[in-house]
Amino acid sequence: MRTMRTTRALLVLAGLALTGCGLYGIATDPYIDLAQHPFDILRWAIGGLVLHDGLWVPLACLAGVTLARSTPVRTGLILAAAVTAVALPAVLRAGHHNGNPTVLPLPYLRNWLLTLAAIALLTTTWALLHHHRKRR
Amino acid sequence: MDDDTPAPRRKPYDLPLPTPPDVLRRGPLREGTFTSALHEPRTAVVIGRWLGAALLTCFLTGLLSHVLQQPPTWLRDHLPSRPVNGYRVTQGLHVISGIAAIPLLGAKLWTVYPKLFEWPPARSVLHALERLSIAILVAAMLLEVFTGLLNTLQWYPWPFPFRQTHFWLGWLAVGGLLLHVAAKAPLIARHWRRVRPGLAQRRAFLTAVTASVGVVTLTTAGQTVPWLRALDLFAPRRPDLGPQGLPINRTAVQAGTSTVPADWQLTVDGPRPLRLSLAELAQLPQTTAELPISCVEGWSASAHWTGVRVRDLLDLAGAPADARLQITSLEKDGPYRVVEMPATYARDPLTLLALRVNGQVLDPDHGYPARIIAPNRPGVLQTKWVTRIELI
Ligand code: HEM
Repeated sequence: MRTMRTTRALLVLAGLALTGCGLYGIATDPYIDLAQHPFDILRWAIGGLVLHDGLWVPLACLAGVTLARSTPVRTGLILAAAVTAVALPAVLRAGHHNGNPTVLPLPYLRNWLLTLAAIALLTTTWALLHHHRKRR
Repeated sequence: MDDDTPAPRRKPYDLPLPTPPDVLRRGPLREGTFTSALHEPRTAVVIGRWLGAALLTCFLTGLLSHVLQQPPTWLRDHLPSRPVNGYRVTQGLHVISGIAAIPLLGAKLWTVYPKLFEWPPARSVLHALERLSIAILVAAMLLEVFTGLLNTLQWYPWPFPFRQTHFWLGWLAVGGLLLHVAAKAPLIARHWRRVRPGLAQRRAFLTAVTASVGVVTLTTAGQTVPWLRALDLFAPRRPDLGPQGLPINRTAVQAGTSTVPADWQLTVDGPRPLRLSLAELAQLPQTTAELPISCVEGWSASAHWTGVRVRDLLDLAGAPADARLQITSLEKDGPYRVVEMPATYARDPLTLLALRVNGQVLDPDHGYPARIIAPNRPGVLQTKWVTRIELI
């Protein structure tokens, strides 16, 4: 009990200190120049929160109760979402390298579609086996 | 959600807040909106641990990178030039754990999503503050991984400066994490260990999340881990693609250094100042070393560099052993046109003014006629198109 209380107190102190550093840094950084651009970061931070919690997670929850009723399908959708989150910027950005062709040199669209296809194939096979086993 | 949890006891110094009238409890705020059995603390703890570990890894490696790039005065002369691959490993780890955090963050936030619609929205002032800190944590985390990922593609669609914002958001995220762990500590402690029998659904979900982390790691880490190169499907770089088999961060055209003046000479300050043409440099004793280019953006590639030891040049110029260097590039502008090099690096026998890479004369994109390459250094400090070395 005692250790728990001490640990929590220390965590709160350290957490407040780091948060304070972060806020102070944003407020005083000459490149961020908060006085001239007071809402740039805030707008993007709140925008991310709103898009994630207001659009993406509701869609994911909806998919969870409609499409993804079995473990294989659920797993496949989770994998596809993870791969897409990481790959989509490269897919969208392919070809934009500001004159430096060593940036984004790969066929990202092809790689993304092939990976999704592989995930779909694996999970379909798994789902069929799963189904088959259940019926026996 | 956590039915087994007694409502937290209000602290004597905390002020209770009234519960809003029940007519306002609509939509997702109603009881029973979320039906999955996985919106529960044990799942949150298991994923949270990994997410916390990824965030702390990012924070520590990020701080290190920051210090190496912009050393504070008191630390400047104590930065070690070894191990050779130190920065390559830490910065590679930074980007690898940042990418791994993407599926972990998604899974964690899905797990705890019903908490967003908790009723009453704030039981007390302290609870309201906790929820505010959660909002800061989540907003900082989302923006942090988003800006980090896009920076590796050199894509900057936002109006604020990347480097400074990414740095300070890291402090907010870790601060928020510590507050979050403090607030949830009793719950975390209660669910730290697995209780048997486990929940089959949870095991399946955690397996899917683990597999997701595995897939995104394996398909991107090849930009820095040599034996994963064949699996590099989504990373913005591949370490063997580029002029002379090496990627570049800034091309000669971008830097305005495609044509080097015909009378180019390297100037080295010192008690016996030197002015050396390319032919004269090539006459000096040459050293070959295998050293990595390790970019802040998380890719790295090893190459065989040949050139004159910086230490030898300094000795020729009669520079004192503890001299720090200021190295100037032919670049017209850019934040790294002039960089400082502490004596620990300047005196390292592996620090070269390279004239060749992998046996060939440097491509303009790699810094022709001469570039700096030193062990354990961020790529942006490996000055290309060197024209002047001064002592400070
Ligand atoms: C960057 C890291 C993290 C983020 C962004 C995050 C995010 C969240 C959010 C938004 C909530 C809901 C808060 C609420 O209103 O009650 C939550 C709850 C929770 N988190 Fe985290 N978290 C992180 C790390 C961790 C870590 C490291 C642990 C533990 C090892 C953890 C354990 C928990 C627990 C136990 C809950 C409560 C779940 C419940 O009541 O069902 N979290 N987290």
